[in-house]
Amino acid sequence: MNGGLPFETGRSPEGEIVVSFKRPLVFENAAQAWRELSALVTQKENASLVFDLSEVSKVDSAGAALLRSIQRLCDRKGVRLRIQSVQPSIKHFLSYLEHESPKKEQVAPTDSFVSRVGAFLIEQSVEFSDFVKFCGSSLITAGRSLRRPGMFRWNESFYYFQLAGSDAMSILFLITFLLGMVMSFQAAIQLRQFGANIYVADLVSLTLTRELSPVFTAVLLAGRSGSAFAAEIGTMKIGEELDALAVMGFNLTELVTLPKVIALMMAAPLLTMWANFAGIMGAIVVSAVSLDLTPYSFMHEVYAGLTVGDIAGGMLKTEVFAILIALVGCFRGFQTGMGADSVGRQTTSAVVSGLFLIIFSDAILTVIYYSLGW
Amino acid sequence: MFSQDNFKSGHALRVENVSISYGERTVLKDINFSVEHGQIVTILGGSGSGKSTLLKGLIGLLKPEKGRIELYGQDISGTDAEQRLEWARKRIGVLFQSGALIGSLTLGENIALPIQEFSNVPEEILPDIVRLKLEMVRLGGYENYYPAELSGGMKKRAGLARAIALDPQILFCDEPTAGLDPVISAEMDDLLLELNHLLGITMVVITHDLPSVMTISDWSIMIDGEAKGIIATGPPAEMENSSDQRVYDFFHRMITQKLR
Repeated sequence: MNGGLPFETGRSPEGEIVVSFKRPLVFENAAQAWRELSALVTQKENASLVFDLSEVSKVDSAGAALLRSIQRLCDRKGVRLRIQSVQPSIKHFLSYLEHESPKKEQVAPTDSFVSRVGAFLIEQSVEFSDFVKFCGSSLITAGRSLRRPGMFRWNESFYYFQLAGSDAMSILFLITFLLGMVMSFQAAIQLRQFGANIYVADLVSLTLTRELSPVFTAVLLAGRSGSAFAAEIGTMKIGEELDALAVMGFNLTELVTLPKVIALMMAAPLLTMWANFAGIMGAIVVSAVSLDLTPYSFMHEVYAGLTVGDIAGGMLKTEVFAILIALVGCFRGFQTGMGADSVGRQTTSAVVSGLFLIIFSDAILTVIYYSLGW
Repeated sequence: MFSQDNFKSGHALRVENVSISYGERTVLKDINFSVEHGQIVTILGGSGSGKSTLLKGLIGLLKPEKGRIELYGQDISGTDAEQRLEWARKRIGVLFQSGALIGSLTLGENIALPIQEFSNVPEEILPDIVRLKLEMVRLGGYENYYPAELSGGMKKRAGLARAIALDPQILFCDEPTAGLDPVISAEMDDLLLELNHLLGITMVVITHDLPSVMTISDWSIMIDGEAKGIIATGPPAEMENSSDQRVYDFFHRMITQKLR
């Protein structure tokens, strides 16, 4: 192989430092040669250097780049460098590095903090208005499609309904069952002090149906389905599938977006009911084991405390969340640019935007419910 | 790293009795051929004939069901070949059909990636290596462009620059001229010939582009989907006048009987 220092140094009669290369200049010895040669150049500022390549049979890319880099270092340090006795084939190879083509400069962000904040806000508001337009056009298309429901692709909707709905049941049960257990434990610690164990049932069932079940279901949908929608549509866009469909005359909103929105609208309320059930089951288990509250008395209290309005309010919330999650997932998918990393970015932002919209709309709905006295 | 001198004698690539299947379906059966140092060998065949499958076998992405693939005397096909395959992979370059550049990196970073990973060249000379590669594929000055900003032909040339980043001994190209206009195809052929002459890179080129075959090949191998194997080998000028109807039809762009 080509290990070891590839050159010897001497002096010519004219007082120039002569570096005679003895071995091929290749990837293996480039690091060592660079260390030694750059040290030599730095020590002998303003000297004259001669590189003698007469014995070198091979220079590879690293060798060529090394010679060029040394040349540049010499120019900076005021060292005169002459390269002599280069074999023709190597000379041709080196010639590639003689002219430097003008480069496109990388633009480093030099903006001030204020202008960056401004740019961020403008970007966000543009995105928000795009999203509103997207929602509007989806609504119009939905109205048109529902006037002729026979033409709608229900099969597609049922496919996504299964993916987003029944396939999510096991994980949702696990989460909300544990949630119910934790809540009843926490509540019991406080309520036991007043001998008000029985109110654990009211607390858990009300919080679950009005707030936590819809929100947890929505968070799960955003993570499982919103992201999947964005990734699927993004990949279709990169593969020019969306262009192909558009050119064939399909309405992309009707074909791609609506089935997903309808699937989530069907799945979300059912999942929320499932979450209510699982959460209350968890609470019953804890109450029975550690609060001396029988399942019968627990359920009796639930029936007394819980109204249809509480459950319906939760269902309305979950419908709103489902529509927003499906729309923002599809919206992000359509926003995908070129390249695999773009799909990843849009999938991430589908989840992030989804979570934001869930919390934001939850806050608004809670205020509305409160002012209406629901 | 790699020294050319160790491998002056013998074959760069030798394929012995190789069969490749996808599950139940055998795509290639009993393939035998070898490539000498410094040669440009083209592998021809119609669409679906198994050209790309063969390439995947040669670069170790598909394990052959049986047979032996040797790169510089090292068997890279066996079940115990992981280490030798790793050894070989640092010594081969592959140009994929689409260029296969990494979209999140600039051209410069794409080319620097294998160099930083598999060699110890200092940071100071790395930009010059990258520049050299880009100049060689006539993309000088494009260091800071992203792949998405380039045309198809430029992407392929950039892919070529990355494939030769570490000065490989052997370069595999999957349809280097597919999807390019005739002028840019000719430029690509020119580029491959120049790299072959200048760096002595052995090349295995998969293609069905006839002008390209005639220009660059020292030797051609034709495979056929129906026969699941090689049906002709030789210099393309000889194959053009082959007595085998399938080969003759391929070279003269004739519609074969079964398609009519």
